[in-house]
Amino acid sequence: MSTSTSPKNVKLKAPTPGNPMFGCASEHVQRLFTQNQEVMSNAITHYKETLKCIFDQNPMLAQSSKPLEGGQQFTNLTPLYLCLQCTDIMDEGDIVKHAHKKQHRFYVESQTGTLYCQLCDDIVWDPTLEELRIRKIGTGSFATSRKRKIEEISNDPAKDDPRHIPNNTMLAPCKANGLRGIYNAGATCYQNVILQSFLHNPILRNFYLCDGHRSNDCSYQHCISCAMDDIFQEFYGQEQTNGYTAANVLSSFWISDKKAFENLVTTKEQDAHEFFQFLAEELHERNRNDKKLENGGEHSCDCIVHHTFYGKLQSTTTCQNCQGVTNATESFLDLSLGLENLAQKRGKKTGAKPPSLALQECLEEEYIKQDKCEYRCHNCNSMQQARRQTSIKELPNVLSIQLKRFEYKQGRHDKACKIDTPIQFPLQLNMLPYTDTARNQDVKTSFELARACTYELMAVVVHVGELDTGHYISYCRVGDQWFSFNDHRVELANKSDVLGSQAYLLFYIVKSIS
Amino acid sequence: MDPIKDFKTGKAGVIMALDDASGVEKLKHAVLDDVLYNVVHQLVMKVHRDEKQARATTAATRVEKLASDASETSTPDSRPDVRIETDAAIYEDGKVMLKGNPLKTTKEILCPRCKLPRLLYPTDGKGARKPDPSVIYCKRHPYIEKPGHDIYGQTWVAPGPGRGKKKKDVEKAKQAAAVAAGENVDSPGKSPVPEQRPANVLSYPSATCVKCKRCILVTRLNNHMGSCIGNSGRNASRAAAAKISNGANGNHSHDRTPPSSQKGTPAPGSRAASPKKREASVMEDDDDGSEASNPKKKKLKATTKKVILKAKPMGGSPLSGMKKEKVKASSGLSMEQKPDDDEKSVPHQTEILPPKPKKPKAPSPAKKIKLGQPTSTTKIVPPPMSSPATTRRDGDAESESSGTLSSPPN
Repeated sequence: MSTSTSPKNVKLKAPTPGNPMFGCASEHVQRLFTQNQEVMSNAITHYKETLKCIFDQNPMLAQSSKPLEGGQQFTNLTPLYLCLQCTDIMDEGDIVKHAHKKQHRFYVESQTGTLYCQLCDDIVWDPTLEELRIRKIGTGSFATSRKRKIEEISNDPAKDDPRHIPNNTMLAPCKANGLRGIYNAGATCYQNVILQSFLHNPILRNFYLCDGHRSNDCSYQHCISCAMDDIFQEFYGQEQTNGYTAANVLSSFWISDKKAFENLVTTKEQDAHEFFQFLAEELHERNRNDKKLENGGEHSCDCIVHHTFYGKLQSTTTCQNCQGVTNATESFLDLSLGLENLAQKRGKKTGAKPPSLALQECLEEEYIKQDKCEYRCHNCNSMQQARRQTSIKELPNVLSIQLKRFEYKQGRHDKACKIDTPIQFPLQLNMLPYTDTARNQDVKTSFELARACTYELMAVVVHVGELDTGHYISYCRVGDQWFSFNDHRVELANKSDVLGSQAYLLFYIVKSIS
Repeated sequence: MDPIKDFKTGKAGVIMALDDASGVEKLKHAVLDDVLYNVVHQLVMKVHRDEKQARATTAATRVEKLASDASETSTPDSRPDVRIETDAAIYEDGKVMLKGNPLKTTKEILCPRCKLPRLLYPTDGKGARKPDPSVIYCKRHPYIEKPGHDIYGQTWVAPGPGRGKKKKDVEKAKQAAAVAAGENVDSPGKSPVPEQRPANVLSYPSATCVKCKRCILVTRLNNHMGSCIGNSGRNASRAAAAKISNGANGNHSHDRTPPSSQKGTPAPGSRAASPKKREASVMEDDDDGSEASNPKKKKLKATTKKVILKAKPMGGSPLSGMKKEKVKASSGLSMEQKPDDDEKSVPHQTEILPPKPKKPKAPSPAKKIKLGQPTSTTKIVPPPMSSPATTRRDGDAESESSGTLSSPPN
């Protein structure tokens, strides 16, 4: 194996405080890495190849093995082990035999890419190899972080000093973990659930904790981004465990002069989704980069809100008369999925009373199926029947989905009602079928593309109770643990609590950022 | 495809097909069994990773600490030029090598940040174990899972539908407190003192209104801002209504409108003007004399003052944990906390009832209690003399909050 291995960028991870240099006892991985340069770079390169085989290729490849005694190759559902030092793939029981025969000690597990050391008889977590594995899963490539942009390089010599950051910052206390409730300031639970979903959004968190919005330099009065900055500092930098009083957000909200959200600013209970839109737009206003704005308007804005939430939809309208096609692209902050039609259809079909729908069905209805519409065709220069099809052109990093549970019944004095249809939503969501890429080409074999379109559930906003006297609670995931946030109450939650809830807003975060 | 016939189950061997099942039937069972195996395999892999890495980090942290202790140089960042060997790791040339499997060599887990041992079991609720009182643990504790308590073991004021605290609510709280106390230790100090809440009850703090700078209880903040900033509150609509019907009997009804609760916090003496508040505050008034025995009030004071502090200057406030350019304020905080600890230990001994949940830690010095009890941070009362908030504010906050403490959130 490993014939053309370029030794460039093959090196061990530099030692960092609090971490051992190698993943297992000095005997094993260390010997592999410190014998000589060639052995080390061969090992690392082969590990990379193995990871590529596991994550980018058909899983059949890594899951198929031949018995040592020879015979037919067969494919396993359970994990196999790929030898790091040769090309053999074997199942657990054959490792010892293979090791005795060939003196090969390291094996890569075929589903997660982890390293098994035969001498330790244990999975080992070597810092160098583990970093490669995490990066492969996380971004799809082994490249280290991208180069700094020109704007990011400061010309302040004081800031280039390596001691600048340790000298001017202090570590957050161990206890500070971002888990705090927010007090209800009088029918403000609709704000609290959105704030919590922002607070546990890793992209927004990193932005604010990296000094993304400098409240010291911000001259805007009652800036809502400064208020968010304060909350992030309080949640992740302080030891307090009691509730937080979001007074600054509330006052910025009251003072805001956004005309579109005038109705929202009352002391009454409001729609959490509208508040989400308000907060997103307001944060966009405060963080927008005016330079970029001149040459392209909203679409090219690279503010944190656009970077996090915005994607693009493409709708294709085909005239039934002349078969002319018109494409239109628009950006979206969230996907709104109607439930009523689908629920009714389902109800008729099965006759059962409360039909249960899957999120994927709602997405399919909206972004795969076509619908008919009237449209003014330019070619025919008249109104024509047309087929319209919408699909997702660009997926956002955080996909927010609104399930339209509040529907205005037309004709009945505009009375709104709540749709209680249970919607089943997955912890992991594949958005590939709803993209225009999937529409235009066969994507069944593109595992890399599928991974880039895989989303993981991050937060759920739930509305309980009736339309006008309800209450909002939310679930957020921190690591692998779910928490429920009910105003100032924070409790542990099970996955089944989360998945069984009557979701109103769903926040999915992309699994790998490429 | 012959081998399949021999299998009636998969790798886990849990889901078995019957002996006389058809080939497809056996295959189905085998597939399902394999899938189950994969689920368990991945779970084990994840737990293994977390645990083994934590132990490896612990081994490295410990040997590095020994190395830096052994070296003469005082600069923390430099790599001391010594060789240290423990049961689990070797330190040499600024590198750490593991010795053997950290899962076997290392028994406890150290926090890589503060180098203190991690508490591995929650202190209360499901799966709780008593922590060793002689050990100072890292402040990051496992989350507590206990009905009626949050992840830090805190409880909260029940959002009752009524106005203020009713008699039966008080009794319920008393019972709950007694139960909570009984669960922990049957301590001699258990004698029921009725008007005391458990120490870790979250109460509603107050915040300063941006516009009028008055201190408003958080549950009323939205309404207050509605009338103060948004001009849409009850008073506004009443004023409008009064204006409209001014001709007829508007004057009369206007007279009867009580002064809004948001408007100017009344002086403590004038509290009687609001009957609701009066009812709720009776309890506190009874033991007003002994400040130390009333943890509720103390807590309120502490939290209220905090909020004022934060709301005032944007720049130099101590809330900027990891922010640049704000370090002076933040690092000063740790200095401030020392006197607090001492201060705290005094009332702590005089009050007998509330610290019941803390009992296991009681024998340790005050500092340890502070570490162990998640809520105790809120209880720390900075000495009133040195408080930056003006006394007027403090008083306002107190009367405002204690009066409405038990009113429902909304």
